[in-house]
Amino acid sequence: MLKIENLQVSVDGKKIVNGLDLEVKAGEVHAIMGPNGSGKSTLAYALAGRPGYEITGGKVTFEGRDLLALAPDERAHEGVFLGFQYPVEIPGVNNVYLLKAALNAARKHRGLPEVDAFEFLTLVREKMKVMNMDESFLSRGVNEGFSGGEKKRNEILQMLMLEPRLAILDETDSGLDIDALKVVANGVNTLRAPERSVVLVTHYQRLLDYIVPDFVHVLVRGRIARSGDKSLALELEKRGYDWISEEAA
Amino acid sequence: MAASLATRIAEQHAAAAASLPGDVVSGERRRSAIETLAVEGLPTTRDENWKYANLRPLDKVRFAPLAGAGAATAGSLPGVTPADLPAAVKDYARYVFVDGVFVPSLSAAVGKNGITVSTHRDSRADTLPSAAALAAMGRPARAATGGSASAAATLDAPATVHSTPASVGRPASATAGPGASPVVSALTAVGAPAKNDARFALLNDAFATDGATIKVAANTDCPTCIELVFVAQVESQTASSYPRVDLHVEANARVGLIERHVSVGSGANFVNAAVRVDIARGATVNHYLVQESGAKAVWFNTLSAILAQDAVYKLHAVSVGGLSARSTINVQLAGERADASVSMASLGDRQQIQDAFVLVEHVAPRARSTQTFRGIAAGRARVAFNGMVVVRKDAQGTDSQQSLRGLLAGPDAEIDVRPQLEIYTDDVRCAHGATAGKLDDNMLFYLLSRGIDPATAQRLLKWAFLEDVVAKIEVPELRRQIEHSLAGQMQEAAELKELL
Repeated sequence: MLKIENLQVSVDGKKIVNGLDLEVKAGEVHAIMGPNGSGKSTLAYALAGRPGYEITGGKVTFEGRDLLALAPDERAHEGVFLGFQYPVEIPGVNNVYLLKAALNAARKHRGLPEVDAFEFLTLVREKMKVMNMDESFLSRGVNEGFSGGEKKRNEILQMLMLEPRLAILDETDSGLDIDALKVVANGVNTLRAPERSVVLVTHYQRLLDYIVPDFVHVLVRGRIARSGDKSLALELEKRGYDWISEEAA
Repeated sequence: MAASLATRIAEQHAAAAASLPGDVVSGERRRSAIETLAVEGLPTTRDENWKYANLRPLDKVRFAPLAGAGAATAGSLPGVTPADLPAAVKDYARYVFVDGVFVPSLSAAVGKNGITVSTHRDSRADTLPSAAALAAMGRPARAATGGSASAAATLDAPATVHSTPASVGRPASATAGPGASPVVSALTAVGAPAKNDARFALLNDAFATDGATIKVAANTDCPTCIELVFVAQVESQTASSYPRVDLHVEANARVGLIERHVSVGSGANFVNAAVRVDIARGATVNHYLVQESGAKAVWFNTLSAILAQDAVYKLHAVSVGGLSARSTINVQLAGERADASVSMASLGDRQQIQDAFVLVEHVAPRARSTQTFRGIAAGRARVAFNGMVVVRKDAQGTDSQQSLRGLLAGPDAEIDVRPQLEIYTDDVRCAHGATAGKLDDNMLFYLLSRGIDPATAQRLLKWAFLEDVVAKIEVPELRRQIEHSLAGQMQEAAELKELL
C-alpha cells in the first residue's frame, strides 16, 4: 500500500528525515516511535504534503502512485488521512460544515453525488456515538475552544467519517487521560480492516496496549534504527531510547 | 485644496439656501455649519485620522442636493419601487428615503406606543401601507457586483501588538500592503487630545433635505423596531444626498434600529450621512448599520453616539459597497457604567476603499467598551480601520478592549489596522490586539489535508474571518441578508451557500 524509499525531508534547510525506508502493507498497523526530534512528525507531515516540508530525495508510492506528486487535498482524495498532533482551531467554520465539505470532496473524487443531508446526519451521529461526543459539538467552530482530549477525538471522528485507506496518526495519544485514550483507541480499532492501514506516531508504549501494532519502528536521526513487533515497544518502555541511539551512531 | 473646497461649498450653499427646508435644519444652523467649515476646512489626507480615506472624489462633487430633491418631488413618485429595496426584516417598521428624502409610499409606520418618527415630509400612519404589504413586495438583498477575487495572498506574515494594561498615550498600528511588511510601529507620541471630528456632519447640516427624528419614550421596549433604508438613485457623477437621523432614547427604553444604505443602479453619487444617537440612563440601543452602496458611490458617514449612566449601545456595522467609503464614528461614554460595543466588518475588492475611524471616549468612571474589526482587502482595494480609545482623567475603572484584524486577500491589496490609546487616568484595564496579514497557513493546510480544494479552503477561511463579527448580528433575517451580501461581494455565493 505505502512504500517509502530512501526518503529525505528538510525543513528550513535542515535535514530532518534522512534516508528512511518503510513498507506498509494493506491491513497492517505500524507504530513509529523515537526520541524527540528524531523526525516522526516531519515524516507524518511530509506524507500529508505540508508546505515547507521539502522532499530532497527518495520516493513514496501509495497504491502504486507517486504520492509526492500529489497536492495535499489530492492525497486526501486518494485515501490518506493525517491525524494532527495539534489540531487547528478554525473559529467561524462549523464542525458539521467541515465534515460535510470533506466528505463531499472525497465523494466528488469518486464520481459520487453529494451526500444526502439525512444520510449525512445519521452517519455523523453514529460516528459521534463511537467517539463519545456530544451533539452540541456539531454546531461549534472546528476545534474552537476544545480541550486537548476533545480535539483528538475530533480528529478520529473526521477519520471515521472519511474512512481513509491509510491513516497517519501523529501523537494522537498525547494529552489524553486514560478514558479518552480508550475512546480514541476504540475509534481507531473500529476502522481496522484488511484493506486499511494505520501508521501510529507515538512517544509512549501506552497507546499500543489499546491499538496493537503489527510492527514497531524506532526512528533515530531521521531513519529507522530498529524494527520489531510489539515487544520492541515494551522493551523501549523499560530501557528508553538511548541504547538504540547509541547502536545507530 | 481644503480652502478652495470650503469656498466652493459656501458658494453652492448660498445658491441653494433658499430651497433647503428650514424644519430639517434651521437656516441659522446651516449658516453656522458653513462658517465652521470655512474655518476648519474639510479633512485632507494630511490629517492623521483621514490618511486612509479617499477624499479626491470630493473635488468633483456638486454639494447642493439635486434641484428638487428637497421639496419638489412631493407628490411625484421616485423611480424606486419596493422591488429595488432589500427584503424587509420582520417586525421592523420601514422608512425609506430616496436621495435623502422620505418617501411615504415605500414606507410603513411604526405601530408601537412610545415611538415617534418624524420626517420633514410628514409620515402620517394612515397614509402608509402596512409593513406586511411591503414585506410581500420586497425581495432579497442584491449582491454587489465584483471583480475577480484574488487567490492566496503571498504576502506578509501576521503581526500583532498587544498591550495590557496600557499607560498614557499609546497608539500602535499594524499595516500590510504592497511591498511592505506589516508594521507594528513603536508607540508614537500623541499630540493634541482627540476630539470628535464632525466636519462631514457639518456638511450634512448645511445641505440636508430631510431626515428621521426618532424619539423613544422612557421604558418603551421595542427591540425589533425601525428600519431606515436610504436609497441613492441619482445617476449624475456629481449628485449629492444627505441621509440624516436623530435618535433620542429616553431612560430604560430598549430599541433596535437598522440603518441601511443602498443604491439603485450603479450610479456614482455622493452620499453624506449624519446620524446622532442619544441614549439616556439605563436605555439600550442595538444599531445595525449596513452599507451596500453601488459600485461607484462615494459614501461618507458621521455617527455620533452619547451614552448616559448604565446606557448600552451596540453598533454592528457592515461595509461592503461603494467605490470609496468612510465611516467616522464617535462614541462618548458620558455616564457611569455605560457600555458600548462597536463591531465592524468591511470588505474591499477591485479599487474600493473602505475606511473607518472610530473614537470611543471614556468620560465617566467604570464604563466598558469593545471594538471589534474584521476587514478583508482583495484586488487593489484598501481597507482601513483606525480605532482610538481615549480615557479621560475622571474615567477610573475603565474597561476597554480592541480586537482589530485585517486580512490581505490579494497581492495588490492593502490593509491598515491601527489601534490607538490615550489614557489620562491610572485605574484602567485596556487591551488591544491588532493583526494584519494573510490567511493562516496552519488553518489552510488543515482544510487541505481533509480533501478540501485550495480555492474552497481560502473562501471558507475568509468567510470564517468575517463571521467573527457577522455572527453577532442578532436579527436572523438581517444576518442572512448580510451573509448573502458578503458572499455575493466575495463572488462566492454558490460555493458558500451551504454556510448560509
